[in-house]
Amino acid sequence: MKNHSREEIATGVTLHTLHEDKFKTNLIKFYFRRPLTQDEVTYNALLPKILQRGTEGFETSKKLSRELEYLYGAYLDGQVIKKGESQIIDFSLGIADLRFVDDQRLLKDSVNLLNELIYKPYRIDGFFKKEYLQQEKANLEKKIKARVNDKNRYAVERCIEEMCENENFRLYEYGKIDDLEGINQENLFRYYQQLITKSPLDIVVVGNIDKEVIKKELLNQFRFERQDIIEIPREEIMVKPKEVKFVRESMEINQGKLTMGFRTNISYDDPTYPALMVYVNLLGGGAHSKLFLKVREERSLCYYIYSRMEKFKSIMLVSCGIEFTKYEETVEVIKQQLEEIKKGNITDEELENTKKAMINSVKEMGDNVNSIADFYYGQVITNQYITPKELIKSIEAVKKEDVAAVGEKILLDTIYFLENGQQ
Amino acid sequence: MNYVEIDGGIVKEKVYRKTLKNGLEVFFLPKKGYAKQFASFSTKFGSNDLKFSKRDGAMVEVPEGIAHFLEHKLFEEPEGNVFDRFAALGANVNAFTNFNITAYYFTSTDYFYENLSYLINFVQNPYFTDENVEKEKGIIGQEIKMYQDNPQWKVFFNFLKGMYQIHPVKNDIAGTIESITRTTKEDLYNCYETFYHPSNMVLFIAGDLDKDQVFEEVEKNFENIKVSEPVNIERHMSKEPDEISNNLVEERLSVSTPLFNLGYKDFHVGIRGTELMKKEIIIRLLLDIVFGKSSTLFEGLYDEGLVDHNFSADYISEVDYGHSILSGESTDPYLVKKFVDEHISHLKVNGLDKRDFERIQRKQIGEALSYFNSMEYTGNSFVSYYFKDINYFDYIQLLKDVTIEDINEYLMKHFDEERQVLSIIKP
Repeated sequence: MKNHSREEIATGVTLHTLHEDKFKTNLIKFYFRRPLTQDEVTYNALLPKILQRGTEGFETSKKLSRELEYLYGAYLDGQVIKKGESQIIDFSLGIADLRFVDDQRLLKDSVNLLNELIYKPYRIDGFFKKEYLQQEKANLEKKIKARVNDKNRYAVERCIEEMCENENFRLYEYGKIDDLEGINQENLFRYYQQLITKSPLDIVVVGNIDKEVIKKELLNQFRFERQDIIEIPREEIMVKPKEVKFVRESMEINQGKLTMGFRTNISYDDPTYPALMVYVNLLGGGAHSKLFLKVREERSLCYYIYSRMEKFKSIMLVSCGIEFTKYEETVEVIKQQLEEIKKGNITDEELENTKKAMINSVKEMGDNVNSIADFYYGQVITNQYITPKELIKSIEAVKKEDVAAVGEKILLDTIYFLENGQQ
Repeated sequence: MNYVEIDGGIVKEKVYRKTLKNGLEVFFLPKKGYAKQFASFSTKFGSNDLKFSKRDGAMVEVPEGIAHFLEHKLFEEPEGNVFDRFAALGANVNAFTNFNITAYYFTSTDYFYENLSYLINFVQNPYFTDENVEKEKGIIGQEIKMYQDNPQWKVFFNFLKGMYQIHPVKNDIAGTIESITRTTKEDLYNCYETFYHPSNMVLFIAGDLDKDQVFEEVEKNFENIKVSEPVNIERHMSKEPDEISNNLVEERLSVSTPLFNLGYKDFHVGIRGTELMKKEIIIRLLLDIVFGKSSTLFEGLYDEGLVDHNFSADYISEVDYGHSILSGESTDPYLVKKFVDEHISHLKVNGLDKRDFERIQRKQIGEALSYFNSMEYTGNSFVSYYFKDINYFDYIQLLKDVTIEDINEYLMKHFDEERQVLSIIKP
């Protein structure tokens, strides 16, 4: 990745550009950041959906889609994501690069669409259109209910919900059904105005677009009216569970889904954080990991098993699909692997393979437009700007003792098991 | 070095091709500026291949899911499992099996040629024992059960069971618990010896690499591997009737809203090469015009609350079968079908709008271009088209050459209610 630059172009609006000419497409992302809270969560989830229903210039989704199609299938989307106890409302515009299609207005016209989508919603009497809101509320309700459809993910989310029952991190990123009734075209519109004027906004541009060109285009087209930019509070992360919480739930399913939630007690700005990354990867980061080799290859207990970090909340999750009757055995084998690392029973080969796998994925990240944007936006959240090279160095420096020491801090909090039975 | 250059036209890519003495086709796609390198070693052997003649001429029938079982087992060698060797070089190795292909691949950012040697060697060296075959049954059993809990997967395979009467595409790729239980190491060797001959395989390489060196290293790897003479592989498959098996398939699962797949069986099959690709492109354009996000039909269904943004349409194009498929979630899939049927009858009378066609054509050109960002996607597409005698690089040119008359012809032909299947998963 070449020519990374960062500049505040309006109050609380930072433009990040990464010039890279190896792709066929260019990507422009707008990230609005909000705290993840009980009161706002459903509003944030609904907003990108209602905005996609129509704009001043394109009153229906159909008209918007037609314009996008004409612009060589430009991609325009809005969604919410949860990063720690932040909720991000993220708008993406993906367009073909001008070296491959002959349309000199492509950049200008597509940036116009992004502007329309975010800043010029279709309004009736000053507020969102009532019918659009009704439909999007119904769709969101369906989406929240649809959480049970993907059982593997459901088990992970339920584990988090139980584990963090008194923390905002429990909140589902698509919000709560109970909130929907109280949302109308007026209060949602007022909330929207707050969101676009007061939230920290980061614009990340990746591709073959010159920094000055895109900056000029954005400042020409967008009217950023910005004031009283909010502060996002840091998550509570140091947690020592008094006892392990056990949760079992049943559903009519064929395979048991097990998720174990751990408190790592190590923040992303802690000097031992690279050792924690190595720990999580060595435990269950792929085919080289202890969990894959012991639980899958040696005992044939599962097909999939992994561990992963919730970086911004300092939580580690281990998840797998098993026979209903193998619950105790699997929990035992997983716990043994954590013990092994804590005791320092890590071979040189394991440590080296883990680090190499991690370094490989850092390098590969630069070959994907979306991963590049997410990598840099992740740094905005942690407010730590390091290059992929520096990240690789920090991984290389991790020693076996560091990984074992990290293991001392990791505490099991919750075990969630989804088993078979009538609900 | 003698290799053929294949030009990608407007995508500004090139692929180099060479056929080795043992019959293996090798392709190389240079990707300047990419840190990642990619190699895939694929055989034209998938879950559909269940009845064939062995090298000695004897016909065998193997248990369902065998191609996928074999894929799992190739990762085992006398010295242990193959993952560790790649891991020591920082590479990621994996594989997939679909209806027609099994592919083994890795991505790396360093030690490319060492990784390439490992790939070629482990795929060329099967090691199946009664014991290691037995052990794998537990793991694959869990994989099958994972899919049984996946409603998208279930609605799709039920759809295929409604669509096809005898074609093996209606079987789960991984087979069933019953079929994997009776799989033996002899079955695996029978398949391996038939389908893993280099002349039935393709090696695809991509990355910021030197092309002369790529081809030299590949040849070096095969120098000392003795292979038997290539034989024509004879697959035994009865002809699939033009008619569908069942127009409605329903099942209950624990889901929040019904899921559906709705589609049409294509009986204009048996074609290969450019003709096949052209058909695929025409039907994909047709589906996008009729069901896409900018269509009147989608708008109507969305405003009625019958579908949401998960609604999508696709066409599956193979030599011996083909079908279109609309998928989504809906409180009332029967009503969706009614809307679709009425709308299509109306379109058949009025024809399609030329402006819609031209716009969707531009959209699909842009999409086809964007896929070249990913070397894995490009490689997998290249290989799967190659097995159908198609050059993937022709895609965008053929897309540009399609006319509204072509699309109108398929509008009349493809949407035949006699060959329509609806599959539903109900809560």
